[in-house]
Amino acid sequence: MIRPTTGKTALLRLGFVDTDAALERLRGLGDAADPLLAVLGHTADPDEALAGLGRLLEAAPDAPVLLETLADDEGTAMRLLAVLGASPALGDHLVHHPEHWHELTDPLLGSTRPPAYALRESLLRAVGADPHADSPVSAMADAEAVDALRVEYRRLLVRLVARDLAHGLGVDDVAAELSDLAAGTLEAALAIARQRVGVAADLVRLAVVAMGKCGGHELNYVSDVDVIFVHEPVEGAPEAAALRAATQLASNLIQICSDHTGEGTIWPVDAALRPEGKAGPLVRTLASHRGYYERWAKTWEFQALLKARPVAGDLALGAAYVEMVAPMVWSAAERDNFVEDTQAMRRRVVDHIPAREAERQIKLGSGGLRDVEFAVQLLQLVHGRADERIRVPTTLSALAELTRGGYVGREDGEAMHEAYAFLRKLEHRIQLRRLQRTHVVPDDEEALRCLGRSLGLMKTPVASFTRVLEHHRREVRRLHEKLFYRPLLSAVAAIPGHEVRLSPEAAEKRLRALGYLDARAALRHLEALTSGVSRRANIQRTLLPAMLGWFAEGADPDAGLFGFRRISESLGSTPWYLATLRDEGEVAHRLARLLATSRYATALLEREPEGVRMLAGDLVPAGSAALTAEMIATATRQEDPEEAVRRIRAIRRRELVRIAAGDVLGLTDVADVGDGLTRLTDATLESTLRVVEAAVRRQRGLDEAPTRMAIVAMGRYGGFELSYGSDADVLFVHDPVPGADAQQASSYAQAVANELRRLLAAPGSDPALEVDADLRPEGRQGALVRTLDSYAAYYARWSKVWEAQALLRADAVVGDPDLCRRFTELIDPLRFPEQGISEDDVLEVRRIKARVDRERLPRGADPQTHLKLGRGGLSDIEWTVQLIQMRFAGQVPGLRTPRTLAALEAARHAGLIEDADAEVLEHAWRRVSRTRNAATLVRGKPSDQLPPDTRERVGVANILGYGPGESEEMVNDHLRCTRKARGVVDRVFWED
Amino acid sequence: MSKQEDFVLRALEERDVRFVRLWFTDVLGFLKSVAVAPAELEGAFSEGIGFDGSAIEGFARVHEADMLAKPDPTTFQILPWRGDSPSTARMFCDIEMPDGSPSYADPRHVLKRTLGRAADKGFTFYTHPEIEFYLFKDTPVPGAEPEPVDRSGYFDHTAQSMGADFRREAIHMLESMGISVEFSHHEAGPGQQEIDLRYADALSTADNIMTFRTVIREVALNQGIWASFMPKPFTTHPGSGMHTHVSLFEGDQNAFYEAGAEYQLSQTGRQFIAGVLRHASEISVVTNQWVNSYKRMMTGGEAPSYICWGHNNRSAMIRVPMYKPEKGQSTRIELRTIDAACNPYLAFAVTLAAGMKGIEGGYELPREAEDDVWALTERERKALGIQPLPRSLSEAISVAEDSELLAETLGEHVFDYFLRNKRAEWDEYRGQVSAFERDQMLPVL
Repeated sequence: MIRPTTGKTALLRLGFVDTDAALERLRGLGDAADPLLAVLGHTADPDEALAGLGRLLEAAPDAPVLLETLADDEGTAMRLLAVLGASPALGDHLVHHPEHWHELTDPLLGSTRPPAYALRESLLRAVGADPHADSPVSAMADAEAVDALRVEYRRLLVRLVARDLAHGLGVDDVAAELSDLAAGTLEAALAIARQRVGVAADLVRLAVVAMGKCGGHELNYVSDVDVIFVHEPVEGAPEAAALRAATQLASNLIQICSDHTGEGTIWPVDAALRPEGKAGPLVRTLASHRGYYERWAKTWEFQALLKARPVAGDLALGAAYVEMVAPMVWSAAERDNFVEDTQAMRRRVVDHIPAREAERQIKLGSGGLRDVEFAVQLLQLVHGRADERIRVPTTLSALAELTRGGYVGREDGEAMHEAYAFLRKLEHRIQLRRLQRTHVVPDDEEALRCLGRSLGLMKTPVASFTRVLEHHRREVRRLHEKLFYRPLLSAVAAIPGHEVRLSPEAAEKRLRALGYLDARAALRHLEALTSGVSRRANIQRTLLPAMLGWFAEGADPDAGLFGFRRISESLGSTPWYLATLRDEGEVAHRLARLLATSRYATALLEREPEGVRMLAGDLVPAGSAALTAEMIATATRQEDPEEAVRRIRAIRRRELVRIAAGDVLGLTDVADVGDGLTRLTDATLESTLRVVEAAVRRQRGLDEAPTRMAIVAMGRYGGFELSYGSDADVLFVHDPVPGADAQQASSYAQAVANELRRLLAAPGSDPALEVDADLRPEGRQGALVRTLDSYAAYYARWSKVWEAQALLRADAVVGDPDLCRRFTELIDPLRFPEQGISEDDVLEVRRIKARVDRERLPRGADPQTHLKLGRGGLSDIEWTVQLIQMRFAGQVPGLRTPRTLAALEAARHAGLIEDADAEVLEHAWRRVSRTRNAATLVRGKPSDQLPPDTRERVGVANILGYGPGESEEMVNDHLRCTRKARGVVDRVFWED
Repeated sequence: MSKQEDFVLRALEERDVRFVRLWFTDVLGFLKSVAVAPAELEGAFSEGIGFDGSAIEGFARVHEADMLAKPDPTTFQILPWRGDSPSTARMFCDIEMPDGSPSYADPRHVLKRTLGRAADKGFTFYTHPEIEFYLFKDTPVPGAEPEPVDRSGYFDHTAQSMGADFRREAIHMLESMGISVEFSHHEAGPGQQEIDLRYADALSTADNIMTFRTVIREVALNQGIWASFMPKPFTTHPGSGMHTHVSLFEGDQNAFYEAGAEYQLSQTGRQFIAGVLRHASEISVVTNQWVNSYKRMMTGGEAPSYICWGHNNRSAMIRVPMYKPEKGQSTRIELRTIDAACNPYLAFAVTLAAGMKGIEGGYELPREAEDDVWALTERERKALGIQPLPRSLSEAISVAEDSELLAETLGEHVFDYFLRNKRAEWDEYRGQVSAFERDQMLPVL
């Protein structure tokens, strides 16, 4: 009887869920219950195992013997209950064929793997065929033989499953034994097929060559068995009759294995890997195969042939076939489109098949089995033609050989091995349950618990299982990313402790396959970066595998790597540099993307390597107050004005990196880019003005300045719309202090303005800031600096409508605050006339615009895609907004702003432009501005044209967020956007 | 796909093909061809054949000239008029940019894109064109009135007829290129022929029309005569159109069919018609793209001038043919504006896009025109709400310029190029002093 200790708690501890039912069933077992209880506790699903045992006892005529055996022989109990607990499907089989429980009493199960010939003999005998005959033929009635094959297959399967579950067989052994079992089954099925076909079967020799997992000796519990049939007529037999017989044999074999009978089915046999696939003839002769492979086969077909192995029928013929194709497999890899094929394979590796169950898909999902298999095959493909040793059909063995040959790093290889073995084992356990072909991890708690327990995770099975699975998938994903890249390093640098190196030829091949155009140069860069035994080289070696992958995702991988080399060389000995890259993955990723996308950012970073550090931050452009303070503080520590301005420019360079990086990485909005660049210019001018004023005063021996100075931002600078590399348009204004000598004040102001321009534009390692005062009264003929009164007098006498228009974007912010205010007061009535500009002036604005459109467009520029002056470009949109401002800003205070978008918003708000029209203009303005910035970032120099060069265009599309192969879509979207904008401009500006 | 490519490579070998012509179509609908040796084809499948796009009408501006022609292996055919052993084959190409993105200047891509958008909604587009053309005795001579090969009329059977021989030979060649011919007969004008192609998906049909025009010209030249698809070669005789039957399928089901509905025409079918009608003027510049196209459409007969539909009404722009019982799958509508000198890729694309607009926007179908709209007075037509189609290329261009539908369907590049080209054509035409003016005025003024 059950002892009191076997209470519900104990049962729960052992893993039972339905304790009431379990108690009930245990009671039914009588004395045997006690010894079995511990064994049940080790099964995947004790409830299921116990229930299965109950069903088996009901079905078995020798139930008392069974129970007794189980109670006495722990080995048998362990094997039977493990099978029942892990596979209800096999439980059903045992209930159906209760005599099979005796199989599990065999003590040899724990120690001996049945050889392939033994399995073949058992299966042949089961269908009444003589295993020693040259061509065994079944002697049983057909239906009986087909059923007998199924029963025998399951009998052997039960034995294997018991070994797998109870004796901890390695997953590679299980897979190999399953393949042997499949081979024997194919042979037995062929014996039945021979009987069906009759005497005609003697006309032909037929070989069954296994492909895929079966060929690779790595079959699953449940999967299609891939085969190719090869036939030859026996001597003297007519070819046509032989072909007919072979076709009948093959199609019967397929049918015999896959038909559903009262004894179920075995597995589908798939012959789709044959020449021409499903469209081709089912069987071919050796010569016909040769003809096809010599002329028509694709690289992937040869790749499939990697796993070809004769398994049934005429083995000599099968061997002849394998011998025939083997040399072709590797010479095929010499074909011209090899690189494209390799790249296509890589894309398949990278572009995971999107499935609803992606996360639970252990085969196709990211970090799944397919990742490992493709990676291994790709490496075999790239390197196998030079190295025979890695031509191994089995994934795990191939991985081992690749590791041994140095094509995969040793630790990577081992981790990959472990992960793959785990995932395969998991796949087996999932399939065992119902003997169904599935690769999806179940999502209900109960099934996960059984799965965890079946993998030996008895304590907290669900949590442990989830953790282990996640670990291995992450490991596969991580290794997968680096697997291609890491060994490249061994090709160029002798790494201490590493035994084998990838040859330079092999490395070049691999780099080209990954998208590097100049593989030789890339190798040189790698060599320069990683050679030596320094700590630096060591860190680079851990960094580069990932970096190489990220460069390959950019528009220009070669440039990315080269830029990285230059930056690393200039920063090499800086202690934080490599540590930052190594420890903060995000920084390295951002840096890689920047370098492979933007020549502008690369050039800045080369001169501002400190910028790398910034990539760890949020990259929000800094405010002008903080920047001004920093610049002034830094500059005032310098005696020499030249040095002081150099310091200011260095800070500016750093901030340019920040803004460019935020832009390329898609973190900073286009309006914020313009804003950031403008504030940066404000700060630069403000601090430089102070430095220069102090210097001029010192030079002239003045204690006090004779005049107050201010700088007025104009044009795109005034409008907060600066781009990278734009000049800063300004007006210089001064106002002598009361009692100062006018002449002296003017000469002082002149000197300050000149010196400021000179120092900011002086050649140096930092980007120059060109300060352009051409918009001043009388243009280049006029005085560079004027007093406030002189501006007043000029505007009172001469002001033209175009000057008023230019003043719309005047923003006096730099220099003496009071003077700034008074300048603004001076110009406000001019630019925002209370009654708006006259009709004549409106006509004049339009006339000028018409002339500008014609004259300013550079020779050879495409008027459709010129970003500034083209159709629906920035100039179109800005003139439209400015005309509204000049007409209505007198009445609508919101229009009194230098910013295009703010003015547009105010106009919309005031009902001066339709909502829809305003939306079109804003959308176009943003898009064109972004494109203009992107073009500069990609090209490394300012550009007002959508780049005509394809690679640059791809780069621009990349920054704008388009995927690979979408650059034409980007152009189309651009043209649409600007066409619509031109439509609005035609109506609103031209009033067409 | 690779199997298709394999098939092509094998066929090259087996049929002893010495040259493969890679075909594509420029924006105006002219066929372009580049010949490659079979050895280059494998590379062409994977990488495409580079060419200078700026040399092709409407393809590219000079500085972005590099383009790739990538053959579509499903279109592989041996050219029957080139003889066999050795023989010549052709394939249609898609045009790509060097980075692999499909060119927006490629009319085939325009149609593919539009078909793709319809496919997203679950529809496939089928068309069946009835192509009319004239046969002339000699190659055209500037200034001379062309002479048709015969004086027969509609369905006439003439002994020893040049036209009948011609049609037999042409149909033989078309069939040998895998283009099924449904029907052929003598049309109403002297020397005018009609050949109807079998129903197929719109992309295949457009490819077939391009092939058809080439085959017809080749056969004519072989027989020492001249074939022309010019929409209206004679003032007094009917023009050559390309009435096109169209339908949408949802999976295996004809989406235009609804048992028991009026004319068995489903809601989808009615909305499609409404869409094509509402946008008819906008797409006219594409369906009828030449100055001469509008001369066909102003004289009545088989060519429509007004935007309306009718059941078996031959004066309507869209005709809903008589429904045949038990043939739900063949429910379709006949669009009678398109002429045979169009760019079939663009014409099918804009037709489909207009129809899809009707479906997406749930357009209401206007009332059916039951009368002969030609016989109605201007005022009657106004009262019935029947608008005229553009009366000239100039009118069609003006309407098209404001058409978002057209821009979206053609893509910005083709839209812009096409309209610029058409405006130039109109301007040039406007400047011509014609025979009409001289004949009328010289004697009296």
